[in-house]
Amino acid sequence: MFFRLVADSFARRPRRKLLTGAALALGMAVATAALSVSLDVGDRLAHEFRSLGANLVVTPQADSLPLEIGGVDYRPVNAGAYLPEADLPKLKTIFWHNNIIAFAPILEFNTGVMARPEKLGAPGKVIKAKLIGTWASYPVKLSDGTIFTTGIEKTNPWFQLKGRWFGHAADANPRGNDLVSMLLPQDQCVLGEKLAAQMGVGTGALIYANISNGDELKAYWNAEAYGVCRITGIVSTGGDEDSAVFLPLARVQQFTHQPGVYRKLYVSALTKPEDDFARRDPKTMNADEFERWSCSPYVSSIAYSIKQVLPGADVRVVRRVAEGEGRILTRVRALLWLVTAAALLAAALAVGASSAASVIERRTEIGLMKALGAGSGIVGFLLAAEQLLLAFVGGGIGYSIGIILARLVGEKIFGAAPEPSLIVFLVILALAAGVTLLGSALPLRRASRYEPAPILRGE
Amino acid sequence: MMTASHTSNRSMFWRIVRRLLTANLSRLFVILLALGAGAAVTAALLNLQIDAKRRLTNEFRSFGPNVIIAPRNSNDSTATLRPATISESLLDQLPLQEGNRPVPAAALLYTTANVTAYSDEGIHNTQLGSGLVVLTGFRVNSETRIFPYHVLNPNHGVILDAETCDVGERVASQFRLQFGGVLQWKVAGKEGECIVSELDSFGGAEDSQVFLPMESVQKLTDMPHQVSLLQLIVSGTPKQIEKYVASLQKQFPDVDVRPIRQFTEGEASIYNRISGLLTATVAIVLLLTGLCVMAAMTNIAIERKNDVGLMKAVGGSMRRVLRLFLVEAAVLGLAGGIVGAAAGILISIALGKAVFGVAAQPRLIVYPVAVALTVVVAILGAYPLRRLANIRPASVFRGEA
Repeated sequence: MFFRLVADSFARRPRRKLLTGAALALGMAVATAALSVSLDVGDRLAHEFRSLGANLVVTPQADSLPLEIGGVDYRPVNAGAYLPEADLPKLKTIFWHNNIIAFAPILEFNTGVMARPEKLGAPGKVIKAKLIGTWASYPVKLSDGTIFTTGIEKTNPWFQLKGRWFGHAADANPRGNDLVSMLLPQDQCVLGEKLAAQMGVGTGALIYANISNGDELKAYWNAEAYGVCRITGIVSTGGDEDSAVFLPLARVQQFTHQPGVYRKLYVSALTKPEDDFARRDPKTMNADEFERWSCSPYVSSIAYSIKQVLPGADVRVVRRVAEGEGRILTRVRALLWLVTAAALLAAALAVGASSAASVIERRTEIGLMKALGAGSGIVGFLLAAEQLLLAFVGGGIGYSIGIILARLVGEKIFGAAPEPSLIVFLVILALAAGVTLLGSALPLRRASRYEPAPILRGE
Repeated sequence: MMTASHTSNRSMFWRIVRRLLTANLSRLFVILLALGAGAAVTAALLNLQIDAKRRLTNEFRSFGPNVIIAPRNSNDSTATLRPATISESLLDQLPLQEGNRPVPAAALLYTTANVTAYSDEGIHNTQLGSGLVVLTGFRVNSETRIFPYHVLNPNHGVILDAETCDVGERVASQFRLQFGGVLQWKVAGKEGECIVSELDSFGGAEDSQVFLPMESVQKLTDMPHQVSLLQLIVSGTPKQIEKYVASLQKQFPDVDVRPIRQFTEGEASIYNRISGLLTATVAIVLLLTGLCVMAAMTNIAIERKNDVGLMKAVGGSMRRVLRLFLVEAAVLGLAGGIVGAAAGILISIALGKAVFGVAAQPRLIVYPVAVALTVVVAILGAYPLRRLANIRPASVFRGEA
């Protein structure tokens, strides 16, 4: 009988139920969309912040002080310490290896470069420039056999390249002075925009770099004194690197006779915004706190675990990048949660109003039921059951609409849709049920006080 | 006569509207609740959205400088032995940004010097080491912190009557310098010293520099009123920054004004994402809130069947009846909107405070927009009453349909 009453109520006034259901579905769609986007946005934005480049920089601990002015390091090449390149795959073995998005080792060499003279043997114009040895789309072989491709184009994503990056040879061949070896991948280089303009060369041209330590550069053809490379691209960086030459790391190691080392490492890692806890010195923490600290991807705890796998390295947080990122992430997250809360509130009120209206208009029915001997409890239960049924159906439909909306927003803005999550579904159903019941509760209480007689008389 | 009937018609019209509104108070309350909630959310979100975008661009300040003013051809190291400089007066001539906001900036002058570090000022101090470091003369034009950094000795004391310097983390660790340590240098026959008052961690080139007052370094290098470069924090949307850089370059054609691409571009892409996200979320929420309120309104409107039947029975034309209900809806929308939007703006002020720490400024334009939107939604919600045009009064009174 109970179910018949409920079913009858739906069958008798389908339009009315449809409208209440529609309000519910729309309200819950808003809630779902806002919730899904808010849940997802932290990760997406953290990725987005990587467009600011590396947030960690690794240097040798024993290194002498860099005398860096305007991006040029005035230390002599042989001063200071270096780090072994062979340790780098270990970066992807730390606890936070999935958070390490990219890294690129750097080895610099200040020297003179010149464009190929018109005539072999003729003097060329020598320009002081910095050679930057690094990786570009470099395949790193990890200990588990997989390949991780990384390089400067990922740690410094604001670089704009015309052409392509240099290649990497699997093994560095001994270099001859015949034309064939010039075409090998490790003989390629990328030129900074300003330097290219100064030298008057473009993609495809050959340039020469002085690699004989110390000697004044003379323009003559000598494979011992010159490193040759073919330009594969021109890069615009908006910084001091615009006057530099980018080469494969192995090549600069060859030039400086320092095989297998680098001097600086940029690491780009996904991090959690730092809070007061994260800023504490790990040395002052007790075991529990340390556990909690190292199990949160704070930039400082990632720096700490990198330090563990790179002996002799000093890992620093690039405060400019890390701090701004943390602040903005926190703000945006809070903002979206607020929008979500507002959406939930609006949805709840509108749905509540809708269900309240649907109870109010059923006074006659309630009066009749009471006249036939139904107690307030049964009447309330019946109406609540109807509303709940509506809530689950409406909530379910709303959830699907909301997921589609969240997907649209996610794809439009971040190029990736948020994953539908079960938690959101359950929260939405619970919310729908709660809101409809609350919305109906007030009118229901009044309904339970109705005297059947005046209602049936139509007063 | 004509006017009299017109007037009485009109007064009757409003009387009916009044009655329609007050006949069922609990229903009135429900409608106002739905409309008010919609208006509140609309006003709050619109206000927050306008405010949040502006505030976000301000938050980008925490990334530090994003524009550099440097001498022309400063990269051409072959040009001269003496490093190129620009006039320090530029720092004080920087034009205001849109909205009369000052641009926080720092002037920097670099030089290298051989320094010797001592543990403290006392007679029995120990020499900690010596070596080449970069000395940076530093002057800012505002209270705003230009470079984001961490102070490594947060609870340091005060040094009086002596020249103090802030040292970068690497310098400190190289010389094992602590608060109160002393750095001495000799450059071209000139001597100087400073007492370390702060150890800072930047995570950049600044970590290996010693920061001194601008005048000391200018005296040391014999370059009065000259600086190596200026670093500026220009805030605003990507377009505003571009415009400011262009106008700056126009105003000072002798120097090179260039944005730091790492930050300007990163900020631009992040700003676009976040503002797109906000706009999209707010638009969806507003749209669905409107639909939601409309569905609730429609629900309520349809139950007016009896009223429509009665009005038609006593000779009301459908047009007049409909007008009656639409006016009722508009009045409701106006009331709900006026109260709801005001509440919404108050809410957004509090919300702005919660997110950005500063109360969101109420935008006056938001208020009429939110009220108008609510009225439109209310009228649209009442529109399904048109379907009642083909109601036969008789069947309504018989209790059918």
